[in-house]
Amino acid sequence: MAKGVIQICYRKIIDATSASIWDKYVFEDTYKEFLMQVQQFDQQQKYATFQEILKNTPKADQMHYLVSTAAIGYIRQLNERMPDVVNVFGKPCVPFKNFRFEIIQSHVKNKDLHKVVIYFYSEPITWIDTISHNQLLFAPGDQLEALANRKKVETEMMVLSPNISITSYQQNNSITL
Amino acid sequence: MERKDFLKRLGMSSLILPLMVSCSKDDDPTPSTGTCTSTDSETAGPFPTKDPSSLVLASIVSDRTGVAFTIKITIQDKNNSCAALEGAIVDIWHCDKDGYYSEYGGTTMQTVDYTSVHFLRGRQTTDSNGMVGFTSIFPGWYSGRATHIHVHIYNAAGTSLLVTQIGFPEGSGSAVSLVNASTANGYTKGMSGYTYNASDNIFADSQDTEIGTVAGSVANGFEITHTIVVSA
Repeated sequence: MAKGVIQICYRKIIDATSASIWDKYVFEDTYKEFLMQVQQFDQQQKYATFQEILKNTPKADQMHYLVSTAAIGYIRQLNERMPDVVNVFGKPCVPFKNFRFEIIQSHVKNKDLHKVVIYFYSEPITWIDTISHNQLLFAPGDQLEALANRKKVETEMMVLSPNISITSYQQNNSITL
Repeated sequence: MERKDFLKRLGMSSLILPLMVSCSKDDDPTPSTGTCTSTDSETAGPFPTKDPSSLVLASIVSDRTGVAFTIKITIQDKNNSCAALEGAIVDIWHCDKDGYYSEYGGTTMQTVDYTSVHFLRGRQTTDSNGMVGFTSIFPGWYSGRATHIHVHIYNAAGTSLLVTQIGFPEGSGSAVSLVNASTANGYTKGMSGYTYNASDNIFADSQDTEIGTVAGSVANGFEITHTIVVSA
């Protein structure tokens, strides 16, 4: 019996140590955009870190959004499949349409201190079972009715890894306790 | 449940069963069968391609509606006898017909579609005439400010040269008056409560250099032209 419909969130941190090409593009381009946008908020160039700018200049929290404009093109290239969250065959398998972008930290003179995070929020998926301690058997979408009617649904087995959380849960009412 | 039934319910045919059993990771040696070698699978692709900032747009309308509007800005270099400055990066942003900007919520959730939070912002690089052009909709206004367009000019390396704004001519018959009376195009505020340039704390002391030239009509759209002088 399926457990319910859930939404998962994957937190992807991108910094100077990130290795994949996608990550490097996002790192480079968001840092470049950060350097451009920061000049609007700190026109006197008094501050070095994002934290200082955030604390001392009005409206600097707009920079999260403004810098995200450099990442959205790469996020679109993911074709609505969460990066890194893969099935047992190593392929991206979790559908997403929503994300949240934040600058964790940055520095106008030290690129190595630039760090951003993207939270990817999945579309609703039906949690069918947990296999072993780290594999989630699920079906895209809300399949509770189909499963209750013993219809066959396509499934995926996702490998659970750090930085993945279940952020919403809708219980399968047909569960008998 | 019998194993074969389980697999059947998972939709696994006997054809793909061997694949599952011998499932290999990407870094496993390439499997060989007989005289031919299987082609490697590629799970890392499709590889990302370098993507310009989503701000790089000629049309910045996105999902907004309103009276058609063209923005033409010429950048001149004070340090080079006011010659046209080629290769300068020009960012512009302005509010929609109702006075709202693209989402400034910072860390709220966004969609991949993005259009509902990403509008009326653009970036272009000046041509040999020092010009950039954008297609947009005529901006509305909000309490406390005269109608305006924000402009941020950088040199080719991205170093800021000037953050400024472009104001609009006003008075009866002006584009600002005509557009804001155009309920047919969705402008509902009229001019009641509008802050005129003389009272605007940005334009009050700089109307001679910051007010653009506007031509056109509500029916055919308007065009603003403006020259901005920077020290490059």
